[in-house]
Amino acid sequence: MEQKERNGGGVGHLVIERDQIGQLRVLFADQGACALTGLSREALLAAEPGQAIQGMETVRRELDSGHELWVLGACGRRQAAELAQANAALEDALKAAEAANQAKSQFLSNMSHDIRTPMNAIVGMTAIGLSHIDEKARVQDCLRKIKTASAHLMSLVNNVLDMSRIDSGRMTLNEEPFSLADLIHDIAVIVRPQAAAKGQSLQLEIGEICEENLIGDTLRLRQILVNIIGNAVKYTQPGGAVKARFSQRPAPERAGGDAVWLDFSCEDNGIGMSPAFLERIFIPFERVESAAISKIEGTGLGMAIVKRLVDSMGGQIRVESEEGAGSRFYVELPIPVQPQGGREPALPVGQTVLVAESLDGRARQITDYLREGGLKPVCMAAGLDAVTWLTEAQYEDRMPCALLLGQELTDMQVLDVAAHVRQLAGKGFPILLVSEVDWAQIEYRAARAGVNAFVPCPLFRSRLWETLSQLTEGACQDEDAQEVDFSGSRVLLAEDNELNQEIAVELLGMTGVQVEVAGDGGQAVRMFEAAPEGYYDLIFMDIQMPVMDGYEATRRIRGMHRGDAGSVWIVAMTANAFVEDIRLSREAGMNEHVSKPVDMDRLLEILRTRLNPAKS
Amino acid sequence: MQPYQEEYLANLREVTALSAWRGREGLSFDAYAARLRENEARVEQLARRDMELLRGQFFPLLDNLFAADGAALEDLEEFAARLLGRPEELDAGLFCQIRQALLSMARQNRDRAGAIRELYWLGMGRHSRVSKLVGLELPLVEKFVVQMRLCFTEAAAYLKYYDELEDAETRGYILRSRANIALGPFKSPGEKIRLVKQTLQILQDKGYQEKAPELPWDRYIYMTHQHMASSISYRKDTAMSAEDMANIMESVYIVNQRQVREAEARGERTPMRWIFPYHAIEYYCGMHSLEQLLAEMEKLLDAVDPMDFSADGTYGMGSLLAFYCQYLQRYPEYLPERVGYLEGLYRRVMAYVDAFPREQEEQKLFWHLRQLAYTFVETGSGLSYGDFVEKIMLRFAPEAYIHAQTVGEAARVLCDLIMEDEPSFFDDIDFLRAVRDPEEKRRAVLEFAMGCGVFHDTGKIDVIELFSRTSRQWFEEEYEMARLHTAAGEVLLSQRPSTSRYAAAALGHHAWYDGAHGYPRAYHRLACPYRQMVDVVALVDWLENVTHSARLYTGEEMAFDEAVQAAIGLEGKQFSPLLTARLRDSRVADRISRALAEGRQLAYRRMYEDAGGNMDTNG
Repeated sequence: MEQKERNGGGVGHLVIERDQIGQLRVLFADQGACALTGLSREALLAAEPGQAIQGMETVRRELDSGHELWVLGACGRRQAAELAQANAALEDALKAAEAANQAKSQFLSNMSHDIRTPMNAIVGMTAIGLSHIDEKARVQDCLRKIKTASAHLMSLVNNVLDMSRIDSGRMTLNEEPFSLADLIHDIAVIVRPQAAAKGQSLQLEIGEICEENLIGDTLRLRQILVNIIGNAVKYTQPGGAVKARFSQRPAPERAGGDAVWLDFSCEDNGIGMSPAFLERIFIPFERVESAAISKIEGTGLGMAIVKRLVDSMGGQIRVESEEGAGSRFYVELPIPVQPQGGREPALPVGQTVLVAESLDGRARQITDYLREGGLKPVCMAAGLDAVTWLTEAQYEDRMPCALLLGQELTDMQVLDVAAHVRQLAGKGFPILLVSEVDWAQIEYRAARAGVNAFVPCPLFRSRLWETLSQLTEGACQDEDAQEVDFSGSRVLLAEDNELNQEIAVELLGMTGVQVEVAGDGGQAVRMFEAAPEGYYDLIFMDIQMPVMDGYEATRRIRGMHRGDAGSVWIVAMTANAFVEDIRLSREAGMNEHVSKPVDMDRLLEILRTRLNPAKS
Repeated sequence: MQPYQEEYLANLREVTALSAWRGREGLSFDAYAARLRENEARVEQLARRDMELLRGQFFPLLDNLFAADGAALEDLEEFAARLLGRPEELDAGLFCQIRQALLSMARQNRDRAGAIRELYWLGMGRHSRVSKLVGLELPLVEKFVVQMRLCFTEAAAYLKYYDELEDAETRGYILRSRANIALGPFKSPGEKIRLVKQTLQILQDKGYQEKAPELPWDRYIYMTHQHMASSISYRKDTAMSAEDMANIMESVYIVNQRQVREAEARGERTPMRWIFPYHAIEYYCGMHSLEQLLAEMEKLLDAVDPMDFSADGTYGMGSLLAFYCQYLQRYPEYLPERVGYLEGLYRRVMAYVDAFPREQEEQKLFWHLRQLAYTFVETGSGLSYGDFVEKIMLRFAPEAYIHAQTVGEAARVLCDLIMEDEPSFFDDIDFLRAVRDPEEKRRAVLEFAMGCGVFHDTGKIDVIELFSRTSRQWFEEEYEMARLHTAAGEVLLSQRPSTSRYAAAALGHHAWYDGAHGYPRAYHRLACPYRQMVDVVALVDWLENVTHSARLYTGEEMAFDEAVQAAIGLEGKQFSPLLTARLRDSRVADRISRALAEGRQLAYRRMYEDAGGNMDTNG
């Protein structure tokens, strides 16, 4: 005991061996142990270990199944605890390093798989295409697949580069003015085809929007939103549903101006995520593992990038999910508001607008926006009811200032109604189409049906008001007054019949357009030839004319060696409505065809499409 | 009427008569074939003349319609009336062109009564065309139905101003338009029934009647009841509510009672077309089982006199049998015990077609048989669907029949040439690849090619008026309607075991090889296992059309050599390069040219045999 006290706060170590029957013996003793026990090393090695350390504070740690380390001394416990802590920390660090290493290995494995997959497609399809080089359709099919695979490969590479840029702190956010409507419409254009390809219902909803003109980095915002919606589409089975919603609420004032919170949520009924995965969703290189999505490709970087972007914008992101039931993402982003400016669109306040839409939610939104603008909406769900209402309105001289056609009707296609209403309601009656379809795909058919303008969905009040304002300005104040001023434009009318000339000149003249008349095809050719390049903006060409018919006149104009010979828009006007006539007019070089007796609305429609108004 | 208008009508009648000519007794085959060729040449001549008349005089009139005097407009009205008069429906397409022009003028002149009248007539013109599209699914024909319905709807909207309108004629147009809104198919029978019921309420309103006592109210009401009675759908379990059923029951009862009374007064039996709905509605109301309804129908079918060529006899032979088949198609568990009976009915209807007097209104019979074409049930041992289709094409659409047989023969020859060089060419097609013996495989390929050719235009049954009895080029709208024949043919052929393998040729023969143009969108070449054969039919069909059959309607007209060069020019675009490459060999082109001529001759021979003439190949 004296010796123990002499040693004070010292520490000693013994290594104890246990034999097969459980007997212990000292295998090793250090200086500290000798000092604390007061025994020589030899004596300690020969002693029964329990007796040798009797009364001493001891911490025992198992080294393996046959050996233990005994730490002797008063401070041995503390030291052992520190040691255990350090070991635990080292173990955690090791595990983390191993996990990171494993994730990177997994990433490399995924990447090599993901890169190999499109590369395989590219190589394979190239080989197939080359072996069927004479079969154009087959080659086209291969090229389409190569294009898809290349685009995927490119997105893989971009994601990896993005992640690297963010992690190295080299990414900065731009601050540029943007329109929320433009941003969301751009997103819709990107994600709608993806959902359509899987037969999914994709709803993009707009809630309360206080400010549409904002400031931020649209590229990165788009990246966040497209990534989340794109993931929802990707991880939702064909025929499933994805719903994204955008709304705003005021944000606390910040230095330099106002801001709003942009609240975005995206809900799907797809495969969902396990609680374990949910914890790791924002960790780079993590992907949902499921047999159901074995064909889904990705870098596992998308959500990690989204999280870092949201963080860098000062926002928040959270996720709720249930395996097999779907996921819900919530994003809140503080976004600065552009300083107020510009004027409110001038709406025909107090006037009626006929709305034809059978989708309840959409109809409600349209009518709400119209009411907010001081207009009186009348809503119909069936095309037949809309036509009946308009016929009565026309008879009673209470025509609405516009017809707003929605996405769907209970009894027919909206464009069929547009075509009939264009005939019924006459020139200048504005017909707007509010739809989520891609305008580029239906523009030709819609314009032919008489639709004047398109407002994309999700529907923004500003877009609806602006379009309505542009179309109704003037038209509603006086139906016969000139609707659009084309006084800067010049039209060549080739028509042999004097009465037709008179009617056309008078009606076209009402728009301010300058009309020059040729009495036959030959004269039209001479007038075009004599005029300076770009002099005529449009040519209306009758077909059956003396001296030279419209086909020949067009061929000659197209054959001239001057810059506008190929580009001037030539419209055939003829009662000859056989398919052959239409083909012949196209072959002669005419751009479109209107049948006679000429419908003036159609002529005006062409002016609107082809000429630039001097003022709106 | 103007002389050119009279001439146009006379030409149309002559074309109809020439199309209906099927050969007479006493002619040798060669004389018969020569006569057919003469008829074809004459039809072509008349068509050219009609085009001259339209281009030279009719279109200029429309060009300058605002300057036309009253007499010219009256003539135009009369001309239109004759184009779609009763009993002849000579040219609904031209009728619509005229009505559309007159409607535009009425709108421009703010002539309200004129606009109402023209809307009604334009709606009727469109109805004439829609009513021919018997069995097609609504999505395919919706556009045409809606165009018709919108005309009637706009005219009917003036009902609100009924009291303000002065003349009874305009009021009549409004009321008739109101009733006609319910014409054509709807998405749900309930929608149609609701509209007809509203019309009945309007027509039975004394307030309306008193304002225009001179109108035939009783007739309007009765016709509307008839319309309601015809709303019966076989989709008993899903389609109609109890209220719908009650409305139909009432109308069926009214129509049935009136028909019974009128038949008694004439000393005749009640027409079958008004007895059947009576039994059917009892089934729909749950008063009778389907077994009982089928038994009642069998009694009616048994009572049809095979020599009764009246409207009622024709109805019994065609439409009633079509309805009977429709139930068996829908509830196949009722078929096994009726196989023998059904086969007997098929034999009887084929004999009826043969015996039908050629001077009678064949088109009415065709209309009824067209319904049967949509509900035909194959028994496996009796008349096959393919034989039925061939028979009605031969009899009622000879131009389409000749074209189809010719395409079949030329496709067979082209396939034979291909098989010589490349026996595995058609091995994408499972059932052909499975044939091991080369000679047997060759035979199977040629047989399949012939079948694809013969049936590729089966869908023309629905739009046959555009192909037969038309003596001018199509208008754009008609061209659009003619395109329906691909999807229609696919529907008809795919549903019957004996013809299902030809459905792809029907669907895809107007699609372009590279998918850039052509129709319908529903055909995806690369996804179609029969694509190599569809390519063959597409090429041969096009060659035959531009050199012969369709040149009248589309204005695309070429000599065979020109057509071959044009096809080669479209290599890899419209046509498979694997096929056009062979056309570069003049021997192959010559062989196809000969096959087209031989195919036509073969078709003539079959028509000759069908007409029961004497075979004489020496003449």
